[in-house]
Amino acid sequence: MVQGITGKEGSFHTSMMLKYGTKVVAGVSPGKGGSQVNGVPVYDTVQEATKEHEIDASIIFVPAKFASDAVYEAVDAGVKLIVVITEHIPVVEVAKFVRYAKVRGSRVIGPNCPGLVVPGESLLGILPSKYFKKGSIGIVSRSGTLTYEVSHLVGDIGQSTVIGIGGDPIVGTSLQDVVIEFDSDEHTEAIVIIGEIGGTMEEKVAQMKRDGKIRKSIVGYIAGLTAPKEKRMGHAGAVVYMGMGTFESKVESFKRANIPVANTPYEIRDILTKIIRK
Amino acid sequence: MKLYEYEGKRLFSYVGIPTPNGQVVREPVKVQGKVVVKAQLLEGGRGKRGLVRVTEDSYTTISELMREGVSIFLIEEFVPHSREIYLSAMMDRETGNPMIIASPQGGINIEESKEVKIFTIPLDRKLMRYDVDAVEKYVGVRGLEPMLEGLLRLVLEYDAELAEINPVAVTEKGPLALDSKVILDDNALYRHEDLLKQFQREKSQSDSYVELDGDVGIIGNGAGLTMATMDLVKLMGGNPADFLDVGGGADTEKVTSAIMRVGSNQKVKKIVINIFGGITRCDEVAKGILNAYTKIGKPIYVRLTGTNEEEGKKMLQSHGIKVYEDALAAIGDALRS
Repeated sequence: MVQGITGKEGSFHTSMMLKYGTKVVAGVSPGKGGSQVNGVPVYDTVQEATKEHEIDASIIFVPAKFASDAVYEAVDAGVKLIVVITEHIPVVEVAKFVRYAKVRGSRVIGPNCPGLVVPGESLLGILPSKYFKKGSIGIVSRSGTLTYEVSHLVGDIGQSTVIGIGGDPIVGTSLQDVVIEFDSDEHTEAIVIIGEIGGTMEEKVAQMKRDGKIRKSIVGYIAGLTAPKEKRMGHAGAVVYMGMGTFESKVESFKRANIPVANTPYEIRDILTKIIRK
Repeated sequence: MKLYEYEGKRLFSYVGIPTPNGQVVREPVKVQGKVVVKAQLLEGGRGKRGLVRVTEDSYTTISELMREGVSIFLIEEFVPHSREIYLSAMMDRETGNPMIIASPQGGINIEESKEVKIFTIPLDRKLMRYDVDAVEKYVGVRGLEPMLEGLLRLVLEYDAELAEINPVAVTEKGPLALDSKVILDDNALYRHEDLLKQFQREKSQSDSYVELDGDVGIIGNGAGLTMATMDLVKLMGGNPADFLDVGGGADTEKVTSAIMRVGSNQKVKKIVINIFGGITRCDEVAKGILNAYTKIGKPIYVRLTGTNEEEGKKMLQSHGIKVYEDALAAIGDALRS
């Protein structure tokens, strides 16, 4: 289901997702019920859509002011996976809807994320599909464009699943969550983490690896070596406050957990090749 | 959006955080007795730069500081105190809950301090008395409830990304906020139009430009890719002059103004542009580059790939601008030139 399907982004990416083979069965746009977008029926409310169709995931393209409302609506209708593409949602609102969804058993990915793709199968997001190829690497990233770049660079090995979790300070699905999923996913042979300054999710993953909770090999990359402290680098998440989440602390924790760290995105491929050949 | 100290203290007064008596002035004034004159700037480190002065002659002090280019001042009563502590509140990124950060030592460089403790206050409930007890016990100061309550309200009701009191002065009459540092969530400013109006501040567009010390201008799309480009320049022996993320779906105009902004920095000798088009279309980017190229007259090294890259490349090449497939090659050539 696509919430905000009649908007410019919503309708464009619906067509891209359909082209990729994603089963988009319904769209929601208040006041536009009864119309169609790319052959997909549009409903006024999520509840109307879920009554007519079996919906296991929703993707949200609703503008920031109304995006929280859309998330609550999806959770209340029992949608289990909600991908929030929308950027610029106030952080306190995000914290609240993430909590609400979790308590009711729904998973939120994002906000401010590019979504996810299972190459050759399904695309739930805005990722440009031509850079993905079916393969064995699980990629999880906090940055959109860097996800495309790295997927492109490891293109000959291919990816099992690629997930952009979003760069906001608070996100519904963390690096840890995705790494755990990859660890038990039979199609994933090795995991690539594309991190950046701010927050401590990378450190948490490193700790899990040290504790033996993750069995598969991980390759890490952290953007922000040259980022000055207390300056926001682009989106809201990439800022170091109170010394938490510096480039150094992330790289250090990866190294302590024996997770190889690529100095540049270009090194990721070489490291992966060595790991996979083992 | 970063607030000035006096703006932050205005918010403090709204949420019940006690502050010293003071007034904001934009010209030299005479005030009786011992006062503190504080230059109102958005950057930190004022104390180290001599921009916070204790004086009995406010008129002369302000006149001096005005000659140094400061235009807004906060004059406050001098507050004798025995101790200083640190308190702040922000959202905890890991748990999605608000948290209070406390240290029994204030005024210090909190990032390097070992004595710092985090108290998480779950989003589902309000601040409880036992939370207050725990913080008070840790820092060894009583009477902090109004401050803790106020800091949390700033985060939850006023959408502060960071609400910090450093230092809190421990006085005979109770704790007092000597300084304020409040950063509002840019994304929530639309909910606080009244404050913007009151402070006569424009809604700052979440600015994606950060100036650095080097001489290589950096433009990219997406924060991650742009940071990675800066890092590559550094690793390959150069020095980035800035971070500028044109964002997703940047059009011709946005690219042109980005290049003009970076190029007009005197220190910038050359510019590296790294674009991986997803939503962003390479032909739009190329048009933007061509518009700005002749005006800035500095060499530009462009890595352009992704959506509509063929059109984009052709446009640049026909004007003699070399286009690279690979960011490493583009940066390498830029650094060697």
